[in-house]
Amino acid sequence: MSDTRPNSSIDPTLPLRAKAGDRQAFAQLVDAMYPRSLRFALHMVGNREDAEEAVQDAFVRVYHSLGRFRDDARFEPWLFRILANRCRSLMEKRRRHARIIQYGEVPERGSAPMETSGVDWTVEVHKVLATLPVEQREAFLLRHVEDMAYEDISAVTGVGLSALRMRVKRACDVLRARLTEVMADDR
Amino acid sequence: MIDERDLLIERVRTTLRGSPDAAADARAVARVLTTVWASPRPSLWRRALDAWRMPVVSGLGAAAVAGLALLAGFVTRGTVGERTPEAPLAATGPATGEFPVQYAAATTGEVAAVPTQFVFDGDAKESVALVGDFNGWRPDATPLTRLENGLWTVTAPLPPGRHVYAFMIDGTLVVADPRAPRAGDADYGREGSVVMVFAR
Repeated sequence: MSDTRPNSSIDPTLPLRAKAGDRQAFAQLVDAMYPRSLRFALHMVGNREDAEEAVQDAFVRVYHSLGRFRDDARFEPWLFRILANRCRSLMEKRRRHARIIQYGEVPERGSAPMETSGVDWTVEVHKVLATLPVEQREAFLLRHVEDMAYEDISAVTGVGLSALRMRVKRACDVLRARLTEVMADDR
Repeated sequence: MIDERDLLIERVRTTLRGSPDAAADARAVARVLTTVWASPRPSLWRRALDAWRMPVVSGLGAAAVAGLALLAGFVTRGTVGERTPEAPLAATGPATGEFPVQYAAATTGEVAAVPTQFVFDGDAKESVALVGDFNGWRPDATPLTRLENGLWTVTAPLPPGRHVYAFMIDGTLVVADPRAPRAGDADYGREGSVVMVFAR
């Protein structure tokens, strides 16, 4: 089934202007994409410090790679591909250095209102998300949080459509099962 | 029809989309841009590797580009590693109606404040003041001067980065700059505009 949800909110001329050397356009790109980039990175790596590092590194790489950005390509999948790579590299680096990454840093502001009584819904969601395999978490976030079409997620991850749908389905199954348990325990 | 389980995923999505509130941290974008402008261009090897990984060209194309780049690098002994000088940067300000950006002359050592002009073209009886995150939103810090043509203007030294600002009219009314993009992150609940100040 084709996905028709909108997933692009930036002026499509901005990447081309940035590619042509327009710093103002690049600044606008960063300004527009930073919140989404940080949100994705935070959910991927699990703490704000690493997320900010991944995002910053991704934008540096984007800036120095603009010359290779194809004029008819879409910017967001390209950015998220680089960002996802940075997140994976950072997670691997942290793992190698044997640092325990505590996923589930509770966002300071902007969370959805809680409806549950005894359970902190946001914390539970982050906990379950952290248990997902990286590739499932990545696919779920791109699809259901960043609203990307499967075709774009495929461009980001380099994975085929059917495999991506399976990853998202499995992630949803785990989230449904565990969060339903949490809510049932809270009753 | 959406069943209860789909509603649960929708609720997860709402929760995750609500965090973090990155837009509230205007300084984060400025930090990124400062790092980007200051970052050295990656080595030829790094760029060749990145080209291989980038999705915007096909794998075969990337291989060809990387191979040619490497060959050129060996032949020219590194002279191809320097970036073509960037196109001259046009300094624009709020008065142009475009995104207000100012560029500083290149400096060594500490980053200097950049003289940045602001223009207000609107109704004001007695005074107009520039207020923003750079002066603590204090209305007495940066008053504008009225010109003979009726415009109000001031040139303020701003540190490089992204700043949110507004005009205070006659000491009471705070308005965003109609010629500049609006800030998505109202500072202290005030409506504001964005100015990007670059050092280079």
